[in-house]
Amino acid sequence: MAATSLTTPRLGSSLASPALQTLRTHRFPIPFLSFPLASRNSPSPSPSPSPINRRFSTAIRSESTNGAELPPKYDFDLFTIGAGSGGVRASRFAANFGASVAICELPFATISSDTTGGFGGTCVLRGCVPKKLLVYASKFSHEFEESGGFGWNYEAEPKHDWSTLIANKNAELLRLTGIYKNILQNAGVKLIEGRGKIVDPHTVDVDGKFYSAKNILVSVGGRPFIPDIPGSEYAIDSDAALDLPSKPTKVAIVGGGYIAVEFAGIFNGLKSDVHVFIRQKKVLRGFDEEIRDFVGEQMSLRGVKFYPEETPQSIVKSSDGSLSLKTNKGTIDGFSHVMFATGRKPNTKNLGLEAVGVKLSKKGAIEVDEYSQTSVPSIWAVGDVTDRINLTPVALMEGGALAKTLFANEPTKPDHREVPSAVFSQPPIAQVGLTEEQATKEYGDVDVYTSNFRPLKATVSGLPDRVFIKLIVCAKTSKILGLHMCGEDSPEIVQGFSVAVKAGLTKADFDATVGIHPTAAEELVTMRTPTRKIRSAPSEETQDSQVKAAAKV
Amino acid sequence: MARKMLIDGELDKTSEEEIHYDFDLFVIGAGSGGVRASRFSAQHGAKVGICELPFHPVSSEVVGGVGGTCVIRGCVPKKILVYGASFGPELEDARNYGWEVNERVDFNWKKLLHKKTEEIVRLNGIYKRLLANAGVKLFEGEGKVVGPNDVEVIQLDSTKIRYSAKHILIATGSRAQRPDIPGQELAITSDEALSLEELPKRAIVLGGGYIAVEFASIWRGMGATVDLCFRKELPLRGFDDEMRAVVARNLEGRGINLHPRTSLTELVKTENGIKVRTDHGEELIADVVLLATGRAPNTKRLNLESVGVELDEKTGAVKVDAYSRTNIPSIWAIGDVTNRMNLTPVALMEGTCFAKTVFDGKPTKPDHNVVPCAVFCIPPLSVVGLSEEQAIEQANGDVLVFTSTFNPMKNTVSGPAGASDLMPRCDRLFTRYAQL
Repeated sequence: MAATSLTTPRLGSSLASPALQTLRTHRFPIPFLSFPLASRNSPSPSPSPSPINRRFSTAIRSESTNGAELPPKYDFDLFTIGAGSGGVRASRFAANFGASVAICELPFATISSDTTGGFGGTCVLRGCVPKKLLVYASKFSHEFEESGGFGWNYEAEPKHDWSTLIANKNAELLRLTGIYKNILQNAGVKLIEGRGKIVDPHTVDVDGKFYSAKNILVSVGGRPFIPDIPGSEYAIDSDAALDLPSKPTKVAIVGGGYIAVEFAGIFNGLKSDVHVFIRQKKVLRGFDEEIRDFVGEQMSLRGVKFYPEETPQSIVKSSDGSLSLKTNKGTIDGFSHVMFATGRKPNTKNLGLEAVGVKLSKKGAIEVDEYSQTSVPSIWAVGDVTDRINLTPVALMEGGALAKTLFANEPTKPDHREVPSAVFSQPPIAQVGLTEEQATKEYGDVDVYTSNFRPLKATVSGLPDRVFIKLIVCAKTSKILGLHMCGEDSPEIVQGFSVAVKAGLTKADFDATVGIHPTAAEELVTMRTPTRKIRSAPSEETQDSQVKAAAKV
Repeated sequence: MARKMLIDGELDKTSEEEIHYDFDLFVIGAGSGGVRASRFSAQHGAKVGICELPFHPVSSEVVGGVGGTCVIRGCVPKKILVYGASFGPELEDARNYGWEVNERVDFNWKKLLHKKTEEIVRLNGIYKRLLANAGVKLFEGEGKVVGPNDVEVIQLDSTKIRYSAKHILIATGSRAQRPDIPGQELAITSDEALSLEELPKRAIVLGGGYIAVEFASIWRGMGATVDLCFRKELPLRGFDDEMRAVVARNLEGRGINLHPRTSLTELVKTENGIKVRTDHGEELIADVVLLATGRAPNTKRLNLESVGVELDEKTGAVKVDAYSRTNIPSIWAIGDVTNRMNLTPVALMEGTCFAKTVFDGKPTKPDHNVVPCAVFCIPPLSVVGLSEEQAIEQANGDVLVFTSTFNPMKNTVSGPAGASDLMPRCDRLFTRYAQL
């Protein structure tokens, strides 16, 4: 595809936009480099020259707006490194706005590494999608149990064949990665397979081939992090967990975040013996406290064993192949697998970022402003690599906003407020807005409505399943500050209600909404009495009246 | 003690006279609307009496039960059966996800029926407790209106007791209607369908509304052969046309035989089951024939005409104004008997507004706009707001329609080739927004 930069009028108008004003004030000190066609097609230059000294043919451009001068020629308007949720969205939309776009991505593999990845990224290949398929698979055991109360009877207890599931899952991944490639190609984006590395503010090196771009987008995502303890080589991460050759019989999961909790549900549902070791007192730090308690209880009722306030110290492999996990509280033997779900880190190593001057946080995330621009004006970053809110729909939003900012002349800040999210534990959790703790801190006076009930299905199945719903309301304005739910179908339900929360609706709006019967969701519009009213320290007014009352005035 | 009541802002002059009534409010019918209105009125300080027919899963002129249609022979038991029926198709999915499930899976209908009965009896008890806790006096028997401020309750031993009430609330709901087809006595209505002794192997359902479609799905999910006959081109008249088509496709995908533009002309009992003839000359045979062609308000034996309460000529529904008041100032009506929007949450809303209006000094009109609802066919349909047809009709400007039809992720994991006799499922998720 011939490299074309933006047509001149567009460039002119976009240069006028506020976001791109910064391009001018933060102009990179080295004069513009331009790359004639010859160098683009030439074989790779001598290995690893210093990026700052790389020169091809140079042309020093003045800032004159003499009509006879052409803008600098780049191979592409946008070069994206990383074809995951954020990268693909930004690239597609940019191309739809008329930009010439190229995107590079590592070759496909189920397990990610420095040299493997795949079009679609974490979400499609080793995150959201395969996770959800495994959650679906593992939910059936609970459904078999439920169905007994409804009159269904299996002669023998259903058994699960792990390899069928993984084979079907992998078939689905291949299908999806192909779809992502098609989507990009149909949008006119050039696909390049290989490892992209930034050479200078306008140059990307993909396995030795050089491409120039007016803008570079870094959207390489993140990868699982396993702490360096003795025996950590025996541990698996989520990538491996999604592609095991056989199902764990007895698994230790280290971690208390959503990944740990989701896998605990998956393996437990598939009838593995599941033990979860968490550093904190409860799982899901950062979530609403009552939700943390509730989901812990419900998971325990389903057979998951929790070990709170335990830190892993070492893993030992015994002669029979089983693993022992030693923590600060003791040792447990007999694990077929030890899985670490102890966090993910942005994939920023060995990208050339530091050398080109892109600022990184302590965690290794790329620092960006509200428009997703890095400290280098022509380099942008979206998605997990920026460690803002690590969710696919947020990466999509950030990518879409960037495409608008750069190529639709509409500087757009992605809005990270009131982003709903879900944890696909069993039972699942979904939420939008603030936790009770956050709301109390930020707003002072809040009314909390909660409902903890046995859903209709459970009264017939006889299982101890319950549903927990919580609304946090600003006492002063009646605005819904937070909405939390744990129970079957929570993610589907909260997606709907998050529109109301994002729109800033009040408790009165909720109360005026007629319910759908019989559902669990109707509970959200029929909570009449606050469970508790939280009030900050009494106001001066109240104190005065108390004093007056005491003085019998 | 005189109770002051504001009607449209004006003080009711009659309350200035010290008339003694047995009750401030007497409610006939303890279903969703009646119970809600009673409890909330009592909470506002009213002295409330309510009467209801004795409990029985199958309703009649003389049997019903506290909790009403929703709890005893509607929403709740229906949902239990839908849950039960949904497990069947789940098994197919389970196999695709690696589960080895026996070819032979038994479904014990009697066990489910028993559980259902347990649940509705439990809820019936809860509703009685709710009334008692609110201080509402419950009478068992058939209620009639005998004057603008008088009701009569025929107790189980046939003795009649009269009560006077400042206000009377009619909340007697509705009942399934049988169409006038020769042999219709061989068929059942939804009441019986929820309490059948035996699960039919073959079922014919006549009707195109939500009840017909829900029962077709229930029986199909439990393994029966189902024929669904309806008058129009598509089921669910009144819903958005595109959604109706999606539902029809989904029902067919589940193996339900659809017979559009079809009525039944005759039912005949044979050795082999019930034979029905359609108006196309087709003959079908089934163990059970369900007539789900509509429900009518329960106003026949209330004696309303003698008191002068206006009823709708066609349906028999009690006519009410925006505040749920009839043409007789002391007589009100809410819920299915008024045939406005026949949904439990709407009856609850009407009951709440009634209590506010009459006993809390805050005249409140129930708002019937933008009420969401669901049809629990399998897979279910849910809607809120206008259909595309309504939107186009009512719009001042252009209407934008966004649609999305997709294979939900759960169904993308395809099963192994030749996966036996599993019924083909073409479930698609379909959402649409009509934006004015």
